[in-house]
Amino acid sequence: MLAYIGRRALLALFTVWAISVLSFAIIQLPPGDYVTSYIAQMASMGSAVSDEEAQALRLQYGLGEPMYVQYLKWMNQIVRGNFGMSMEWRRPVIEVIGERLWLTVAVSVSALILTWALALPIGIYSAVRQYSAGDYIATFIGFIGLAVPNFLLALVLLYLGFVFFNANIGGLFSPELQDAPWGGAKVWDLLKHLPIPALILGLAGTAQQIRIMRANLLDELRKPYVVTARSKGLPERTVVLKYPVRVALNPFASTIGYTLPYIVSGSIIVSLVLGLPTVGPLLLKALIAQDMFLAGTIVLLLGVMTVAGTLISDILLVWIDPRIRLEDT
Amino acid sequence: MSQRRPWTRTLRSALTLILSGALLTAVVTAGALAQGGKTSLIGKLEGPEVVTDSAKWPKAFKEAPQLAELVKAGKLPPVAERIGQDPLVIKPLQAIGKYGGTWRAGFTGPADFWNGFRCCSGPDHLMFWDYTGDKVLPNLAKSLEMQDGGRAWLVHLRRGMKWSDGKPFTADDFVFWFEDIYRNKDLVPTPSAAMAINGKQGAIEKVDTYTVRFKFPESYFMFPDVLAGATDLAGQMWGYRALGGFAPAHYLKQFHPKYVSAAELDKKVKDEKFDSWVRLFLAKNDWARNPDLPVLSPWKTVTPINTPTWTLERNPYSVFVDTAGNQLPYLDRVVLTLAENLEVLNLRAIAGEYDYASRHVDLGKLPVFIENQQKGNYKVYLDPGDYCDLIIKFNLNYDADPEIGKWFNTADFRRALSLGIDRDQINETFWLGTATPGSVVPVDSNKYNPGPQYRKLWSTLDLKKANDMLDKIGLAKKDAEGYRLRADGKGRLRIEIMTLGGQFVQYTQISEMIREQWKKIGIDLKVQEVERSLALQRTANNEQQLGAWNNDGSEHLFTFPLHVFPYEVAAVATSGPHYAKWFHSAGTQGKEPEPRMKELMEKWKRAFGVPEKERIQLGKEVWKIAAEEVYIIGVVGQGPAAMGVRVVKNNLGNIPSRMYNSPDGKTPGISRPATFYWKN
Repeated sequence: MLAYIGRRALLALFTVWAISVLSFAIIQLPPGDYVTSYIAQMASMGSAVSDEEAQALRLQYGLGEPMYVQYLKWMNQIVRGNFGMSMEWRRPVIEVIGERLWLTVAVSVSALILTWALALPIGIYSAVRQYSAGDYIATFIGFIGLAVPNFLLALVLLYLGFVFFNANIGGLFSPELQDAPWGGAKVWDLLKHLPIPALILGLAGTAQQIRIMRANLLDELRKPYVVTARSKGLPERTVVLKYPVRVALNPFASTIGYTLPYIVSGSIIVSLVLGLPTVGPLLLKALIAQDMFLAGTIVLLLGVMTVAGTLISDILLVWIDPRIRLEDT
Repeated sequence: MSQRRPWTRTLRSALTLILSGALLTAVVTAGALAQGGKTSLIGKLEGPEVVTDSAKWPKAFKEAPQLAELVKAGKLPPVAERIGQDPLVIKPLQAIGKYGGTWRAGFTGPADFWNGFRCCSGPDHLMFWDYTGDKVLPNLAKSLEMQDGGRAWLVHLRRGMKWSDGKPFTADDFVFWFEDIYRNKDLVPTPSAAMAINGKQGAIEKVDTYTVRFKFPESYFMFPDVLAGATDLAGQMWGYRALGGFAPAHYLKQFHPKYVSAAELDKKVKDEKFDSWVRLFLAKNDWARNPDLPVLSPWKTVTPINTPTWTLERNPYSVFVDTAGNQLPYLDRVVLTLAENLEVLNLRAIAGEYDYASRHVDLGKLPVFIENQQKGNYKVYLDPGDYCDLIIKFNLNYDADPEIGKWFNTADFRRALSLGIDRDQINETFWLGTATPGSVVPVDSNKYNPGPQYRKLWSTLDLKKANDMLDKIGLAKKDAEGYRLRADGKGRLRIEIMTLGGQFVQYTQISEMIREQWKKIGIDLKVQEVERSLALQRTANNEQQLGAWNNDGSEHLFTFPLHVFPYEVAAVATSGPHYAKWFHSAGTQGKEPEPRMKELMEKWKRAFGVPEKERIQLGKEVWKIAAEEVYIIGVVGQGPAAMGVRVVKNNLGNIPSRMYNSPDGKTPGISRPATFYWKN
C-alpha cells in the first residue's frame, strides 16, 4: 500500500514538471508576446510605440531571451514561491490570482454541492423506479440540462433578472459592498448573489451525474448479491442504500481528479457572461494579452490540481474498494 | 484565429443572439428612431468655457464641505492658499453646481486606462481645446507666449498652483522631467516627435519659478496644438511611459538613480517586487495605478486601476474653479467598476447602473437603450465624431503577391473598389442611419476640410463606372461565376481584408457586407478576422492586404495623422509599412513613395513650421490628395459608433446635448466633467 502511494506520488511529481514545461510552451505558441499585444493596444488607441521603445520593453520584461532561459528563470522564481509579476495588471501574480481564487472556490463548491445534492437522490430514484413516470421526467429534464449550454442559460437568466426583478447585473457583490472589508454584511451579500451562478454551473453537471448514478446503480441492482439480500428479507431501503449505492459511488470517487481543477476553471464562460470576479475571465484576458506569468501560473495551477485530484482519487479508490487493492498488490 | 478560440466565437454570437432578441422587441423604437428620432438624439454642440481674462476671475473661493471640515480641523490650508493666485476658471455650461455625490461607470480592466484619463484628468494638459475642439486655449498653463519666430515658446505657469500633496508646481517639474526622465535613455529610449521639429530635438529650460521655455532649432508653429492634443506632451496620462512634459520632481526623485544611492534604490526595487528601477519608476509615475503620485487633475486615483474598483476622489488642491469661485470638481468621487465583458457593461448601462457612460457603449444596442430610458432614469445622446467610422486601407507596399501589389498601386483600381461599396446599406444596417456616407475627409466644418465636393469624390455607389474602370485597367476577363481573373493567368483575383473583432465598430460583419457588394463588380473578397497581436504581426511583416479600421482623431490632421497616410510604425491596419519607415527615417530606410504620396507627406511635414493660415491651406491639400488618390477608402463617417452613444442620468447637470467626440478631445474631458453635478 505504501509503495503504491509512493510510486503514485513520484509519478505525480514528474507529471507536474511536465505540465510546467507544457504550460510554458503553450503560452509561447501564439504569435508575438506581451509587448506586441501592448503595442496593438496602444495603436488601437491612436498612439505609436517605436521599435526602440518596444525593444526596451522586451528587455525590461526579459522577453528577448531564448525560451529555455526564460523558462529556467521562471522556474527558479517559482521554487522560491515568487510567481512573477503580471505584466498587464502590474502586480505580483499571487495577489492578482489570490483575491479571485477564494471567490472562484466559493462559486464552484456551491455548484458542486448543489449538483450532488440533486443528482444522487434523483439518480437513485430513477434507477430504482426505472421506466416510471418520475424516471422519465427526471431523464427528460436531465437531457435538457445537458443539451443547453450553460452560458446561454446564464444570458437568459441575466436578461430575465433585469427585466423582471431589476436585479444587479452580473458580479458577486452589490456595488455598495464591492470594496467593503469582509464582514457579516458582505458575506450575506455574497450568499445572496451565489444561487444563480451555482444553479447555472451546477445544472449541466447535475444532468450528467444523474445519468451516471442511474446507469451504475442499474448495473448493480441486477447482480446476484442484491437478489440474495432481498431474499434474506431485508427491507428494500436497506437493500438499495447499503450495498449497490455504495458500489455505484465508485465512479464519483474516480472523478475527483477532474473535479478539483473544475472548481477553479469550470466556470470560465459562465463567469465571463455573468461578470463574476473569478479566475476564469482572468485566464482568458491573460491569454489574450499574452501576460505569460499570469497565464502560466493559472495553467500550472490547474495542472497541479488535476494531478493532485487524480492522486487523491487513486488513494480514495484503493481505500473504498478492496478489489482494486487486491489487483494491485 | 477563429479556430484557436472557437468558444469565444460561439460566446460572442450567443451574446449577439440574445441581445438581438432584445433588439427585435425594440423594433418599434427603431422605427421611431429612423423617422426623425435621429434629430432629437443629436443636439447642438455646446460646452463649458475657460475664462482666460483674469479680470473676470472670482476673487474669493469656496470649497466642498468635507474639505472645509479638514481646514477647520487644521489638517488642510485654507482654500485660497490651495488654489493659488491664478485659478483655472471654467464657466459651467448651464449652472453653478452643488457639491457632493458619486459618478458610477464601468471599466474593462487594467488596459482600459484611457477611460479614467478621459473622464477625470481635467484634462491636465498645459493647453487644451475649447469645446468645439478647434481652438487652443491655455489650460494648466496661464498663457503661452511665442518668441523668436516660433523657435521658442514661453509657458507661464499659474502662481501658487500646487500638486495634490500641497507641494508647489513650478518650472523645476519641467526641468526635472526633461533632464532626468526624458533624456534618460533607460526611461525614454526614443526621443519623442512631439519634442522635435523636422526631426531636430528641442529643449526645456527654466526662466524663473513660474516660467518655462521650450526651445527648438527651427520654427515650431504647431506647438500649441501639440500641447493640446493627445500627444507625448499631454500631461500625466503618459507618465507611465515617462512622457508628459512635466512630472512631480519632489516625489519622483526618491526613485531616480541620480538622487538616491544604488543600494537604496535596489532595496526599494526588491521590496516592491520589481525587476528593475525603470519598472519601479514608471509604476510610481502612473496616474492610474499609484495613489501616492502627486497629480494636478481634479480627481485623483485612490484605489488603483488594477483592482476590481477603480476609485478616484477629489483633489483638495485642484486649481479648477467655477465662475462663482467654487473649487471644482462638484462630484466627490468617481467609481469605475470592473466589467468582465462588454455585454455586462452594456447591460448595466441599460439597467441604469451607471450615471454617465459612453465608453464601450454599443451603437448596435441603441434601440434597447432608448426603450429603457424611463426605467433606467437616463437619457441617450449621440455624439457623432468628425471623422470616418470605417475606413479600408490598401497596403501599398504589399509584395507577397506582386500582382495584388500592382493593383493596390493602381489608382483606378482603388477608386473602382470604392465606387463598388453601397454605403447607404452599411449606414442603415450598422449605424441605424445615423452616420454620413462618404470619403475619408473630415466633417465639412473642419478647418482642414478641402470642400464639400470631396465628401462624394469616388465615394458613391456607381457599379457601371466601377466595372468600366476595372475592365479598362486590364481586369476584363471573368470566370464562370463572374469573378475577375488575374492578369498573370493564375486564376481568380482574390483579395483579403483583415479585421479585428470586439471593437467599437463591427469591422468583420461590415466587411462581410462589402464582400457581398463587391461580387457585383467581380471582386472576390475574403474576410479574415484576427486577434490583435496577430494583426500587429501581420502588418509589421507586410502581410496585410486590406485592413479595416476607423480614422478617429484624423480631424486633427497634424496631431493625429496615423490614419491619413503611412505614418504609424506599429498599426493594426497599415497602408504601407515601408513608406512609414521611409517617412520617419527621413528617407534612409524603407521605400520611397510614389510622387503623389510623397507630395502629401511633404505638405504634412511642412505645416509644422509655418503660420496657421498657411498650415490650413496645406492641410486642405493633404486631404485633397487623400480623397483623389483613395489610398484609403472612406466608407461611413461622422457617426456615433466610437464612444458616441452617451447614457446619462436625468438629474446630472451641466451635460451638453452634443459634445465634440475625439481621442484628441479626451471626450468627455472636453466637456469638463469637473463641472458635472447632481441636481437633486
